[in-house]
Amino acid sequence: MYILSYLIKRLGQGLFIVAFTSMVIFTLLRVVPGDPVRLIVGGMAPADVVERVAKDMGLRDPIPVQYARYFGEVMLGDLGRSYVRPQNGMIVSGGQFIDPTTSNMATVSSLIAERLPLTLALGAAAIFMAITFSFPLGLAAGLYPHSICAKLAFFVQSIFVSIPNFWLAIVLIFYLSVQLRWLPALGYQGPSYIFLPALVLAVEISPVLIRALSVSIAQTMQAEFVTEARVRGLPERRIILGHGLRNAAVPLMNLLGIQLSSLIGGVLVIEYIFDYPGLGQLTVMAVANRDFPLVQGIAILTSAVFVLINILVDLASFSIDPRVEL
Amino acid sequence: MDATVYGPESAPRLALNKSPARRILEAAVRSPGFKVGMGVLLLLLFAMVFYPMLSDVSATTINVRARFLPPIGVGDKWIWAHPLGTDQLGRDILMRSVVGLRYSLFIGVASVFMMLMLGCGLGIYAGYRAGWRDTVIMRITDAQLSIPMIILAISILGVSTPTVQSIILVLAMSGWPLYARVARSVALAERSMEYVRGLEVLGASHWRIMLLYMVPTILPPIVFIAVLDVARMMIFETILGFLGLGVPPPAPSFGTMISDGRKYLINAWWIASCPGMFLALALLSLNLIGAAFERARNQVFGGSDGSQ
Repeated sequence: MYILSYLIKRLGQGLFIVAFTSMVIFTLLRVVPGDPVRLIVGGMAPADVVERVAKDMGLRDPIPVQYARYFGEVMLGDLGRSYVRPQNGMIVSGGQFIDPTTSNMATVSSLIAERLPLTLALGAAAIFMAITFSFPLGLAAGLYPHSICAKLAFFVQSIFVSIPNFWLAIVLIFYLSVQLRWLPALGYQGPSYIFLPALVLAVEISPVLIRALSVSIAQTMQAEFVTEARVRGLPERRIILGHGLRNAAVPLMNLLGIQLSSLIGGVLVIEYIFDYPGLGQLTVMAVANRDFPLVQGIAILTSAVFVLINILVDLASFSIDPRVEL
Repeated sequence: MDATVYGPESAPRLALNKSPARRILEAAVRSPGFKVGMGVLLLLLFAMVFYPMLSDVSATTINVRARFLPPIGVGDKWIWAHPLGTDQLGRDILMRSVVGLRYSLFIGVASVFMMLMLGCGLGIYAGYRAGWRDTVIMRITDAQLSIPMIILAISILGVSTPTVQSIILVLAMSGWPLYARVARSVALAERSMEYVRGLEVLGASHWRIMLLYMVPTILPPIVFIAVLDVARMMIFETILGFLGLGVPPPAPSFGTMISDGRKYLINAWWIASCPGMFLALALLSLNLIGAAFERARNQVFGGSDGSQ
């Protein structure tokens, strides 16, 4: 019961945050100079057509009115239609003249739904790779702070955190894909295309993981209950797994929740470089095309995911460690 | 400090009497990571300041006849005038990297400075005054933390025309909530200390207490975050440049250089690699310095750090 009321409270706050985010993005997109209508109708369209289309689309109303209308539709589950992407997938070039109020533009939700699985697969692969790599290293560094492992962990951490992700991506594409022809790199035609971008993302995530893991393991292993467990004669293996890792998991999960926003930044660039047809690449394209509904839809989705993951992290921390207050 | 002030300042300077901030600084400076990082950083700063003054090569002049010259020692077309070769328009890569480093470092430092001022200011105010002011400021902070800032940043810069100032502003906007949180937690703890009550009794104004007594206490936990953040913001700046939303051309920036260079990777790998090396060196030095501060702080405050 307590958990339920907590969930309701957190989801309510989350809804408020999502509304706030969408409002900020919505307002900023309309305040900065640059008229999307000109891009929509094409460069050759006469001025009165531009005005007519803008009026039809409600783009000349005051911003609060526009936002209220937009958010009302979002609450009903309608994220609107793209300004520039028709349903058949062709992007209209600048010279043509189209009328977005009559033509069949793809809905934002369908565009997102098409790309989302690919991005999720990429993220999952990257986190999996990062964990399999950093877990043994971080654990060893935390358990034996003066060993060669700890030095190695520090070294790896410093190097990895200093490599700009997109630069690494370019170098990897060049050597592994262009020269050695081991792995495909650009576009997406099958699961093997996930490997390289996921590797680059994993290199970006793992230094944070290694550090957090080694620090919290080292702290936990000095705690009184670990000494007591030793006195009680528990095997070292059980102490590490049952006490050390269990307690280290909470700060680690919190960190992953916080790191999510920089991870999203990484995904954006990596997808762009690898021409990987996920949400990140869609975002970059949407901004370049001034496709406002699409940008807003992606922003709302990301902040909702962000809110949900942070709630999940708190719930998981609570179930692992009852001392954590909800 | 006034000569009339009594207390620790007038006592003989034993190791124990040194302020934590000072002990952290000394412990950090002693660590090998700090020495290496500082050495590399000083070298880069030296090159950044003096190389453009001493060399008469321009970073932006296009010379089509000197296109794709390799760095010294690579192939047989290299010349001494262009130590790291030239790019697809015959511009000197060393000079462009050095000037690009100027932009990158300036944007990193300026944006971190701004977010530090804004975040710490709001955080101290919230923690010290508490009550409804605290609630309002912290709610804004929470909301800001869950906005996907990278999307906001590329939306703003993508729709408007990016300038150095707008890039700094956007980066600063994305980073201040973290500082606000740290500053608030320290100010909250500090607020209940005896000396603050003493100052209030003595009639010190809120602003005086905040500016003269709170600010110094929040510096130790903030400094290493700030150093690491300069590196993070430099990466962000490069990402923006890479997406075509960075410092406007023809000014050299790491992002645009790497983005342009990747088209010529097969025949002229140095165009993208050399700026990348410069950036990686700068990031490595900043990260080493920041990590040294963090470890030193953990040592001084008794927390244990995993390694070394």
